[in-house]
Amino acid sequence: MMRVLAFARRELRAAFESPVAYVAIGLFVVVLPTLFFFLGYPIGGVPLPGLWEGGQASLIVLFHWIPLLLAFVVPALSMGTWAEERRSGTFELLLTYPVSTAQVALGKFLATTLLAFLMVALAVLAAAGTVAYLGDLDWNTVLGGLAGAALLCAAYVAIAQFLSAVSSEQLVAFLLGALVLGLLWALPLFVRVLPGDLASSAESISPTAHYLGSFARGVLDASDAIYFGLVTIVGLAGGVLMVERGRWAR
Amino acid sequence: MNSVMSTSSEAAGARAAAGTPPMLAARALTKSFGPVRAVRDVTFEVGAGELVGFLGPNGAGKSTTMKMLTGSLLPDAGRAEVRGLAVDGGARAARAAVGYLPEHTPLYSEMRVTRYLGFVGEVYGLGRSARRDAVERVVDACDLDGYTDRRIRTLSKGYRQRVGLAQALLPDPPALILDEPTSGLDPAEIVRIRDLVVSLAREKTILLSTHVLPEVEEVCRRVLIITGGRLVADGPLEALGEGAGDAVVATVVASEERALELFGAVVNASSPRVVRRGDEGRLTLAFDVEDRFAAAESIARTAADASVVLVELRHEAPTLERVFLERTRAAREAERARPEAPPQ
Repeated sequence: MMRVLAFARRELRAAFESPVAYVAIGLFVVVLPTLFFFLGYPIGGVPLPGLWEGGQASLIVLFHWIPLLLAFVVPALSMGTWAEERRSGTFELLLTYPVSTAQVALGKFLATTLLAFLMVALAVLAAAGTVAYLGDLDWNTVLGGLAGAALLCAAYVAIAQFLSAVSSEQLVAFLLGALVLGLLWALPLFVRVLPGDLASSAESISPTAHYLGSFARGVLDASDAIYFGLVTIVGLAGGVLMVERGRWAR
Repeated sequence: MNSVMSTSSEAAGARAAAGTPPMLAARALTKSFGPVRAVRDVTFEVGAGELVGFLGPNGAGKSTTMKMLTGSLLPDAGRAEVRGLAVDGGARAARAAVGYLPEHTPLYSEMRVTRYLGFVGEVYGLGRSARRDAVERVVDACDLDGYTDRRIRTLSKGYRQRVGLAQALLPDPPALILDEPTSGLDPAEIVRIRDLVVSLAREKTILLSTHVLPEVEEVCRRVLIITGGRLVADGPLEALGEGAGDAVVATVVASEERALELFGAVVNASSPRVVRRGDEGRLTLAFDVEDRFAAAESIARTAADASVVLVELRHEAPTLERVFLERTRAAREAERARPEAPPQ
């Protein structure tokens, strides 16, 4: 575990020693509450009004934005995970250390997930504080939304880091990550136009539906938690396999 | 080649008899990248305490071989071993026994030196106080005092190289694999790094690749030469030079025409070639010889009989550069002669 934490600490320090962490946190803390207060959530079948317009002491609109914003911010945080190690050559040294690739991958995953969650939590708590000041906020829903956001961050980071492991350049990793996570986010939008079976499949594989359907409403659903757990494990395992493939370069 | 190969296999035999596996071993290592066969059937052993130079032209397979010995690359065939343990993805004990400095010294440039070294200590599982001691030890060994709080990206290439060496030394491994540690450094830095390698060799097994042949001559007693992915020489430096062509150099006071006529038929030597035309009629001639003593005696007698002043007469041993060029050229020619040779 000490070795896992060594890699996690290194990743976190690297994020905070470059503008990446500050820009990402700033983006979330400024953009997310702004969208929540003023714009509402105009995407999908039932558009939701902003806080001022709707006048409801609830964060549901804010939680609706989280899967979409994370689909672009998480790839930005994760793009360098392996691609930058490859570019700088430190990848080769990593493979010679007496640690397993799983330990390295887990350390990197923990660091980026923590950073992504910190970013979301700061934005959510800032908005929650304001709403609680204005009205009667249900804090259980806030905690449910945050717990779901943590699982969502973990699943997104695992997928984005896997895509960083298959990319030789950071930009490619970012674009691939944004594309894949963006598509996963968009799947529920197609539910209305897809035939029955396909529609339910689209809904069941989209993290957006698993987040908004339960956690964002303050409901802790075991099947949704299992879904996020599985996606995270598959993403992590895929990343480890891709990194190990580096030893077999041909 | 046969004689030098037998020298290293004798050492291997002695180790086998003593029951101790070699510190590093390449056993029929083979690796291809697409159609390019980067390393072919490379076999050698490096015993504990040896400092071995690993030479070869660019693209000869040095770095690929070193990567296989450190586990960052796995061979298509053959086996890399550290202390008898196979180096592969799972062999942590084998990897822990080797400190590695890759070519171009990849480091986390945004980190400060001590923090980076502390991180390497954590990766090797050192506890807090062991880590602090290890960082102190390598900072001292690599002369990094005064640079410990600097970010790595702000360091000169020489200091980055020292940080690279420090990370390789941090877990105090019994073996070091150093891939071109002096490449791109200024002369003063080259001397510092070379001195450091020599001092480390008192306690550690070192496999050192370099392009700088005099460096190998100065620090290594044994040399491996690889070209076209094949090992073409393995043996002590002196033995590699045997048969590579001795020369005798004579400086006489005579006109070029007379000297060439007089020394044209020296026993046991080739026709002379003029190496240098000096002041006061001095002329330096070089003879390729088979028996240097017989040739030297014949040159001295010829000069004395003709009353030509012989200012200097010396033996010129074959340089590593000459050995290297001859071995690599011979290997290239042999490769071309193979009808089934794959494209390179």
